[in-house]
Amino acid sequence: MSDAKSRSHKAQKVIDRMGQKLSRQIAGSMIACVHCGMCIDSCHYVLANPGDPTYAPPYKADKIRKLFKKHFDWTGRVAPWWVKAGSVYTDEDLQELKDVVFGMCTNCRRCSLNCPMGVDFATFNRMARGLLVSVGVMPEGVAVVSKDQWETGNQMGVLKEDYLETIEWMEEEMRDELEDPDAKIPIDNPDCEVIYSINPREVKYDPRTIADAAKVFHAAGESWTMPSEGWDMTNFGLFSGDDDLGASVAKRLYEKVIELRGKRLVISECGHGLRSTQCEAPNWAKFDVPFEMESSVFTMLRYIKEGRIKVDKSRNPKPVTYHDSCNLARSCGVTEEPRELLHLVCEDFREMYPNRAENYCCTGGGGAMSMSEYTPRRLKSGVVKANQLKDTGAEVVVTSCHNCVDGLTDVIRHYELNMEVTQLVNLVANALVIEEKVAVPVERVPEVAVADLPLAGRRLVVADDEPDQVEFLAAVLEDNGATVFRAGTGDEALELVRREKPDLLTLDLSMPGRDVGEVFEMLRTELAFEDLKVCVITGRPELRRLIYDRSVRRPEGYLDKPVSEESLILNVRKILELAHEHETVG
Amino acid sequence: MSNLLHFSEHTLQEIALTFMALVYVTRITWFLRRFKAGTERQAPSGSPQTTKAKGVLYSWANVAMPWAMESTRSRPFMYVQFVVFHLGVTAAIALSFVIPYGAELLDSQLVVLLFQVIIGAACAVGVVRMIRRVSNPYIRAISSPDDYFSVALLTVWFFFAVLAAPNSTAMGEWHLLTYFLLTAFFLVYVPFSKISHYLYYPFTRYYFGKSMGYRGVYPLRGG
Repeated sequence: MSDAKSRSHKAQKVIDRMGQKLSRQIAGSMIACVHCGMCIDSCHYVLANPGDPTYAPPYKADKIRKLFKKHFDWTGRVAPWWVKAGSVYTDEDLQELKDVVFGMCTNCRRCSLNCPMGVDFATFNRMARGLLVSVGVMPEGVAVVSKDQWETGNQMGVLKEDYLETIEWMEEEMRDELEDPDAKIPIDNPDCEVIYSINPREVKYDPRTIADAAKVFHAAGESWTMPSEGWDMTNFGLFSGDDDLGASVAKRLYEKVIELRGKRLVISECGHGLRSTQCEAPNWAKFDVPFEMESSVFTMLRYIKEGRIKVDKSRNPKPVTYHDSCNLARSCGVTEEPRELLHLVCEDFREMYPNRAENYCCTGGGGAMSMSEYTPRRLKSGVVKANQLKDTGAEVVVTSCHNCVDGLTDVIRHYELNMEVTQLVNLVANALVIEEKVAVPVERVPEVAVADLPLAGRRLVVADDEPDQVEFLAAVLEDNGATVFRAGTGDEALELVRREKPDLLTLDLSMPGRDVGEVFEMLRTELAFEDLKVCVITGRPELRRLIYDRSVRRPEGYLDKPVSEESLILNVRKILELAHEHETVG
Repeated sequence: MSNLLHFSEHTLQEIALTFMALVYVTRITWFLRRFKAGTERQAPSGSPQTTKAKGVLYSWANVAMPWAMESTRSRPFMYVQFVVFHLGVTAAIALSFVIPYGAELLDSQLVVLLFQVIIGAACAVGVVRMIRRVSNPYIRAISSPDDYFSVALLTVWFFFAVLAAPNSTAMGEWHLLTYFLLTAFFLVYVPFSKISHYLYYPFTRYYFGKSMGYRGVYPLRGG
């Protein structure tokens, strides 16, 4: 039997498509490695797993390189054993390759920068991901997120109405805070200087960053707008290796900017978003972008330098450190501007070592946060980052990347570091000097009466099978005035909802006993629960289909674990306040 | 000089060199024709201090800047080994031309000593590298037969180059003969082994540097 005939259909496709994907840069990287081992301990997985050579970058690279040698190079064809050439034959072989390219590397590019030969492992690891994705072999989380981005145009499946409602809500918050009825978040205004694009994570978990950016634009007197569609600047194509997805997502954004005749696209703080939108996607989409693009870090820095906004660094007195995102530092060269900005808006900045292009990955890069099956491995590799963070002595770690926010939050919680994570936009907004506000002296902080707490009078059921998680969620909600009932299984949740008639249920997707999807459907179909709001909180995004594939009304909210206090409260408030507004209007 | 040694020093080397050149030309032609270089449509980004040209130069110069990469900065001994080993290769190749075409150079004891010191040091590095490749579990896990054979071949070749450097037949011709036979084998084997990495090095570094320079990463900033 010939070599090709003994190969599964998928494996054959991978080999065939590899031939089309090999650029000169990638082929050079395939041939040039001399197995010198200089890159080995540049990888955080290696450092966290001493003695295990399977994490070594050249070892992982050889899992892909062997295919090149076997099918495209000379010596490998003639004497494969001599150069360790090999092939993939079965679907199990592809699964093994999947485990390496998705589960043992975050494509952080640290090894590439440390290779004396200029071998860019991260680039051909992405190629291998793309080949596997093209035959449907990928972690389930990657499939779910890719599907969302193909279908809805954003990687978290945020519906247009949710996006617009959140912006409206943030506009009201900003207006109240600034006591300025003219403060607005414009939508779809044509001919603006700035079109501001964001990460869907901001809508779902961190809407405060939208309001903070809006404050900065408002204070600078900028002519700006946000698009109603094509607003997602993230691009899962970078992580999955799917150039078609990458091209499609970016084109939606580019075409919207062109439609609105925007002069400049400003990309909110997101490492992979900036890299994809600014650097990679014009190539994927074969699209010549006719407008300027920049990270919001550059925009904010320019506003300060030009005197368009004033900042008072004493408003950010806590010691802060800066985590360089891999995509920003090693693929976009953005290292000095964030530091310049930090020096302007913070009193006590402490450098992290190593830093800039030599910084270690947050552990959440390359889409790792969506691959829950690799979470234990990822958290173990986080010890490198945890030690770096601890050594700074800072209380706050600042990063210009949403992925890093989640990755760092996870590391900080896992290694109990007692630090908080924030972004530059939050610090700049906090340091903003707005004349009217400065004129009002604040003499004392009034005590908050229980009735003034944001969730006062609200009844909530928290359903989760992890006792620590239940206690955490319940404590945060109770501290904000809610009355909370605790459930550990789907049946208990059902019983509590029937008995206590809460306003909102937080629902974990993986609990023992009755299937959570079934519980959800029962709640949605029983007339008595028509007004019940549901917020899914899960660490396993691949289980979303248990809920979302059902032909009943979707949950009002969705949060990925780990959940921060702020995002929990913001999201619960958003769900309840929007529900209240709709009831009032109705 | 025996006919065999004369043949080994001249005709055999010329055949081997021609073969190597032909294979290299074929190989580079295959590399450039089969694999298309990616294009970059996006506007240059990052600091105005970084450009494609600066990125390429920085990338090429990287080999001479051990401070620029953490991997070389943190292992000065490895970097010294790298320098000595490659100087040894250069000297051993040069010797294979000096003996047949410029033997009078070796009348100087100083020149002979210089060849022997450089190539001898490279031979010692070869031994160290072989020990590392066998004993270090990480390096062992990534090594192929070609990796072991290439290091062993070069180390043995260095050894005979040290013996051949005085170009003396007072003790017989066997050491010169072995050196030239090994040189011929080396020239024929190299294009099919990892030793040919130097052929691709300018390309990998060029494209990596070009992209990194265009996107504002190279030359590295700050720190």
